[in-house]
Amino acid sequence: MKKNKNNKFKHKDDRKNSPFEERKRFCPFSQKNSPKIDYKDTKLLSRYISEKGKITPSRITNISSKKQKQLAQAIKRARFLSLISYTHKNFY
Amino acid sequence: MNKFETVILLTPDISTTIVDKEEEFFLNSILKNEGKIINQEDWGLRDLSYNIKNYKKAFYKFYQIEINGSKIQDIKKNLSQNEKIMRHLFVKVETHQELPTKMIKNEEK
Repeated sequence: MKKNKNNKFKHKDDRKNSPFEERKRFCPFSQKNSPKIDYKDTKLLSRYISEKGKITPSRITNISSKKQKQLAQAIKRARFLSLISYTHKNFY
Repeated sequence: MNKFETVILLTPDISTTIVDKEEEFFLNSILKNEGKIINQEDWGLRDLSYNIKNYKKAFYKFYQIEINGSKIQDIKKNLSQNEKIMRHLFVKVETHQELPTKMIKNEEK
């Protein structure tokens, strides 16, 4: 048992320096100078839409849950005003 | 009194004089309900990304207003009964953005 535990700790230390470990990722909307979420800014919103027009999940884009809610609301508003399509991505 | 942003879509088959009339109709309905119009912006005739009532284009109008929230319901009722207005959206905001909006900025680029 002890050996196993030691191995685990070693493993963690190795991870810190290994090049394969992903760097810490941050929410793109919670930083300083980050853009404000706005339903009128279709260029920004189109970055977070899949090719079929779906909203990309936050586990892929790494947006915090608070901002993801605001983003989803903004996308839905833009869809209602026909600025963004419901079914496919606009290519502007 | 709260701050709101509104966007209105008008049908594309009407002449510009009628567009102005409809605009006045909307602005008057706000003024009647003790509201204020702080700013307005014309996004012009834009392509829709999907057809609405078989129209492919629409006139977009954007306003920044200040009004008592409970009076918006009456205004909405009037707008939905008007055939020339396809869509309308009211959004409550804490502070008004500076004009021009990003909509127009992006197009210029």
